[in-house]
Order: sequence, then C-alpha cells, then structure tokens
Amino acid sequence: MGLIASYNLRSMVVRKGTAAMTSMGIAMVVAVFVMTLAIAQGFRATLVASGSPNNVIVLRKGATSETVSAVMRPQVPLIESLPQIARSSDGRALASPELVVIISLPRQSDNQPANVPLRGVGPKAFEVRDALEMVEGRRFTPGTREINVGRLAVGRFKGLTLGSAVKFGSATWTVAGVFTADDASFESEVWGDVDLMMPAFQRGAYQSITARLVDPSAFDSLVAAVAADPRLDLRPRRELDYYAEQSATMTTVIRAFGTFVTLILSVGAVFGAMNTMYAAVAYRTREIGMLRALGFSRLRIVTAFLAESVALAVVGGGIGCLLALPVHGLSTGTTNMASFSEVAFKFRITPGLMAGGLLFSALMGAVGGLLPAIRASRIPVARALREI
Amino acid sequence: MKFLGLVLKSARRSRRRTFLTVLSVAIAVFLFASLRAVLDGFNAAAEASSSTRIMTLRSTSMIFSMPTSHADAIRTVNGVRDLTWANWFGGIYKDPKNFFAQFAIEPESYLRMYPEIVLAPEARRAFLEDRTGCVVGDGLAKRFGWTVGDRVVLQVGIPTYGSQDFTFTIRGIYRTSGAAIDNQSMFFQWKFADERSLVKGQAGWYVTQIANPDQAAEVALAIDQKFANSPYETKTDTEKAFQSSFVSMFGNLNLLLGSIAVAVVITTLFVAGNTMAMSVRERTTEIAVMRTLGFPAKTMFFLVGGEGILMALLGGAVGAGLARLIVNPDVLHVAGGFIPEFGVNNAHVATGLALSVFIGVVAGVIPATMASRLKIVDALRRVA
Repeated sequence: MGLIASYNLRSMVVRKGTAAMTSMGIAMVVAVFVMTLAIAQGFRATLVASGSPNNVIVLRKGATSETVSAVMRPQVPLIESLPQIARSSDGRALASPELVVIISLPRQSDNQPANVPLRGVGPKAFEVRDALEMVEGRRFTPGTREINVGRLAVGRFKGLTLGSAVKFGSATWTVAGVFTADDASFESEVWGDVDLMMPAFQRGAYQSITARLVDPSAFDSLVAAVAADPRLDLRPRRELDYYAEQSATMTTVIRAFGTFVTLILSVGAVFGAMNTMYAAVAYRTREIGMLRALGFSRLRIVTAFLAESVALAVVGGGIGCLLALPVHGLSTGTTNMASFSEVAFKFRITPGLMAGGLLFSALMGAVGGLLPAIRASRIPVARALREI
Repeated sequence: MKFLGLVLKSARRSRRRTFLTVLSVAIAVFLFASLRAVLDGFNAAAEASSSTRIMTLRSTSMIFSMPTSHADAIRTVNGVRDLTWANWFGGIYKDPKNFFAQFAIEPESYLRMYPEIVLAPEARRAFLEDRTGCVVGDGLAKRFGWTVGDRVVLQVGIPTYGSQDFTFTIRGIYRTSGAAIDNQSMFFQWKFADERSLVKGQAGWYVTQIANPDQAAEVALAIDQKFANSPYETKTDTEKAFQSSFVSMFGNLNLLLGSIAVAVVITTLFVAGNTMAMSVRERTTEIAVMRTLGFPAKTMFFLVGGEGILMALLGGAVGAGLARLIVNPDVLHVAGGFIPEFGVNNAHVATGLALSVFIGVVAGVIPATMASRLKIVDALRRVA
C-alpha cells in the first residue's frame, strides 16, 4: 500500500498545474455550498437562540405566530396565577404579556424602508429573558415613552442610536438603551412598554404571554391546567419549539436553493475531475502496465486512482472551506415570512458544515474518478507495456 | 475560415473530453442564465411600474390601515387625476402552503387605473355586478385548475376579517400586459370584505393617478401633509419605490446571486482552461510537426484558441437553449407567494452566449500561448 500511495502522491506533484486547476474548480463549488448553508444555519441559529428551555409562550389556540394571535387582558392574571409559573423575589409572576407590531424604518445600507418588529413588553420581560444584557444606557422606565433597541437593529436601521428620538404610533419615543441577547432575533427588535404601545397602535388585546416555568418539567401540567380552564382559549408552547417552527420555512427555502445551485455546479466540477483523471490514466498507461506486471491486482489499481481523485478533491474542498471562512460572522438580514419583519443574523460556519463541505468534495472526487479508475484497471498489460 | 475543418478535427480528437468540456460550459451558462432570470424577475415589477401612479400607505407600516375618508381628502390635492384603494386580505386556500396574494379592491376605479389587468368586457361586467365575485390571474387559475364560475373558499388569515370563511365566485380570468401586476393574484370587491370586517371603512393603501410624472414628489408631499399630525399619518411614494422596497425585504439578493454567478464562471474557467491545456500538451509533437511544415506561430495560437472558443460556444448554446426551454414560467410553477414569476428570455440567452465566448477566450489564452511558443526542436525530440 505504501508504495502505491506514494506513487499516486508523487504523480499529483508532477502534474501540479492540472491538479491545482482541478482542485480549484472543486474549491469554488464547496465555497458556494458552505456559504449558502451558512446563511440557513445563521438564520436558524438566530431564531432558535430566541427560545429558552425554561420558557413557554402562550398564544391563542390555532395561532401559528404572534402576529395572528390574541390574548385578552383578563386572561393574563389567570395565566400568571398558575402554580407552574415561576415567581420573582417580589412575589410577582415571571410573565410578560406582549404585543408585536411592525414599524417602518429606513435601512442604513440602502435607505429603503424596512419592516422592523416593535415589541411591547411587560415589566418582567427582562427577567423572563435573562439572556438580555444592556450594553449601552439602561432599561426603559415603565410608563414612559422610552424604548430599548437590540444591538443589530442599531446597526441595520437609521435613527436608533442611544438618545435619539423615534416617531411612530403618533408619538415620539426616546432610545434609553441598547441590549444584546446572545445573537437571538431580539437583537433585531425595538422594545418598549406594552401598556403604552397598545393605545399608540389602537390595539385592545395582547398577542402573547411569555413566562418562565418553575421547572422545565412543569410544562405538561401547565398545558393540562390551561386546557382545563374554559376561560382560556389559549395554548402554551415551549419557546424553543415555537422559534424553531418560525424559522422552518425560511431555512428550508434557503437550503433548497443552496442545494440546487451546488448540485448543478458540482456536475461541472465532476466533469473537470473526470477529464483530469482520464488524462492522468492515459499519460501513465505504461506505468500502470508496469504495476500490473509487478503483480498489483486490478482492484488495487482502481482504489489507487480513486484515492488519487478523492485526495485531489478533498484538497479542493479544504481550500473551498477556507475561501468561505471570511464570511463567518458577517451580519446580514432578510425578512422572516412568519412575522413579516426583518431579522438580522450572522453567517454561521460550524465545524459540522465544514465537515459536510469536505465530505461533499470527497464525493465529487469519487464520482469523477470512478470511470477513469476502472479504465486504468482494464488496460491489458502487454499492450500497456508496449506503448510509448 | 479555411482552418475550420482542422479545428473541428482536433476537437474530435478526444471525443469524450470535448463532450465533458462542452457539457461543463453548458451547465455554467445554464446556471448563469437562470440566476439572471430570477434576479430580473424580482426587479421586473419595479422596472415595469408606472411613473404616474403613486402609493399612499400608513407611515407607521404597511400592515396598518386607514379610513376610506382619506380618499376625499386626497382627491382635493392638486395634480391628482384619479384614485383607488385596496386591502391585503391574507386568506388561506385550504392550506397555508397554497399561498397567493388576494386583494380587496374598489373594483371600478382599480380596473380603470390598472390597465395591466386585461379582462374580457363580459367578464369585467360580471365581476362588477357580483358583490362576492372575484377575478384571478391566468397563472393562478392554471395552478389550481380553476375556471370561470368555480367557487373558491378562503379561510380568514387576518383576525380583523372575523372567523367565518369567505366564498367567492370566479367571474373572470385576467391576463397581464405588464409586470406591475402579476398573474398569480386574486382580486375581489372591497365591499364584501368590509361588510364582515370588525373595523369598517378601512383601506390598506391608496393608489393615486397623477397627471404629470414630474410632479410625483410634489403631489406625494402634499398628500402626506394633509394627514400630518392626525392619528393616521401617511407616507406616499412612487409605485417604483414601493416595489423596490418589497424586493429589498429579501435581503441583498443582487449580492448573493451575483457572487454565486461569479463562482460559477470561475469554476468553469478552471475546468475548461485545464482541459484545453491538457489537449495542447498531448498534441505537442503534432504542433511541432505543423510548425516545421511552416505554419506560423500566430496560426497555431488561433487554431488552439479557436478550438476553445468553438467548444465554449457550443456549450453556451446548449446551456442557454436548455435554460430557455426549462426555466420558463409555463414549465416551472415556482412562482406564487412572495417569489415573482421569472423566466429565461432571449436577452438572457444572448448574455449566456457572450459569457461562453468569454470563457472560451480566457480559458484558451494560456494553452494557445503554450502552443505558439513551443520550441520545435525540444518538442520533436520529446517522446509521448
């Protein structure tokens, strides 16, 4: 095995020009593959990060998202008084009745109006979502026209920096602070006092209640308790499940698109690899004849050439991953169709994704190298040796 | 031209290699033309929008509506010639996956202001006379197999419209004569939706016809000033601005699809250039013999380069032709929902062919130079 492996390796070095070109072709395909999937990955991670295993979100029965849900005022204390809901040190329930509306703000990059989610939250919101951390200024004071802005929203939309005044809902609001939320979608949002948002947008009901459970295992008994109360036409869901569901459509679309493009593109790269390997086999007919004469079996010849092709492709795959790497962490945005508002997120290249890219390149190498390798093994020994 | 036979002959030298190269160029051009078509599809509505139509929305966001009494106030603005309004309905046809756009329109004025909606006179009359009637685009009708007279039941998607299902009768199937209106939408009478709406007399947006396109900014400002400091402040802009803000919702599509297209081209350059270099190397002796016979270096350059362009052009023709056939709104039914209709047109085919020539030239330069710079003595001495 050692001899034949080093033979293949050295053959690659001899044809370094051709080998490099083939690898680069595959590198480009893998780069596109990794980059498009990094979008899907980043988008999903941002939404999933919005959920916490300890939290539940309560929506109207049958509502698929906050936008189409309604929670009536009298229902809030009924939920808050359930024993499954955790309490803060002052004895009040860790629950936040919320309302999400969309406001229009110009984007920094192209000045186009974008749909920015504006979330009215209850006084306990920051305790329920403990990943939130103020990085500038302070929390808004309940009962005043103050707002807090997510870090990504500050960068993406105009006029949201600390201290600036924003006009919406026939009033002017002041930015009192900027927060981070572990890359969750909240970082694309604007937050304010829900009891001021409702009259400002002529709404009479909340849309959801997000609450902290005393213990993640209390979820089932909470669902039962809500179902047993005829005054509650609501359904609690685990926050994690809810946000994973919200990201599903968009993630599927991006993944499907990325796969479609890379599949077509990979056919071209496989042809390139095939050409290269056929030429390699034709070049080395005499050498192959020699190997066969020395007693190497057909199978060994096939595996050797296949391995050469795969190695060539995996080198390309590695380069492709490196080419894609600089986009990691770049922030971009798109509209989440489930909420009809913009979500900013970062490209996210995970080790798993890079492994996927390498595997994909190996596959391209194997497919491209198979036919030439078989041809190599079928060369009649006598004729091959006679060839000049 | 007299060398064409020779070029063809050498292209046939290794048929399998030529075939694979042509196919990889074909794939690149196919992908390139399709990406271009998708991008153009997204931008088409903005480009085809009328310059004499301006749209008024709530300044807060397009999801909020405003009273229809705004209509009278807008009519008094100088330069306004005609006006209509519409509402987004957001109903669900059987399953949320069957998403398509439904608009509640003020029928007479809307059809008057959007000549892009082409309806037969009798269909138009039937639609105007039936309070629960609707018209659907020919693309949408095809998607669900609807014909005139069919009943369409929509579940309510936005809570404002109550909880009872809406039943419509199809009174006409329209064609479009411009990309400002797509053929995947449904229009019905605003009155019908308003009757069941929890909040009466609401318009999602107003469309105003202005006499002179140069006045657009002026009229828009005058309209917005009418409602400044009211509970329903407005934001008025041209139809084009509205459409392009819609496209920008998806994020930076130009950059994303553009970079993929560049990656496609580079991949193909590597593949094609590599193959041509390989074939030149194989023919070293042959080229040396030709040089000895007196063919000038320049001729060798053009022979090899010409072979590259020929192969690329052939691949380009196959790829662009396939894209024209397959990526076609009549064949693919991807449109609907938020994705606009798109298809590869002759302009994309031309761009694709130009691209293939570019690939042929760039990929052929190095091998052609190699061929023309060959040292005859060394090449003749070389074995294999």
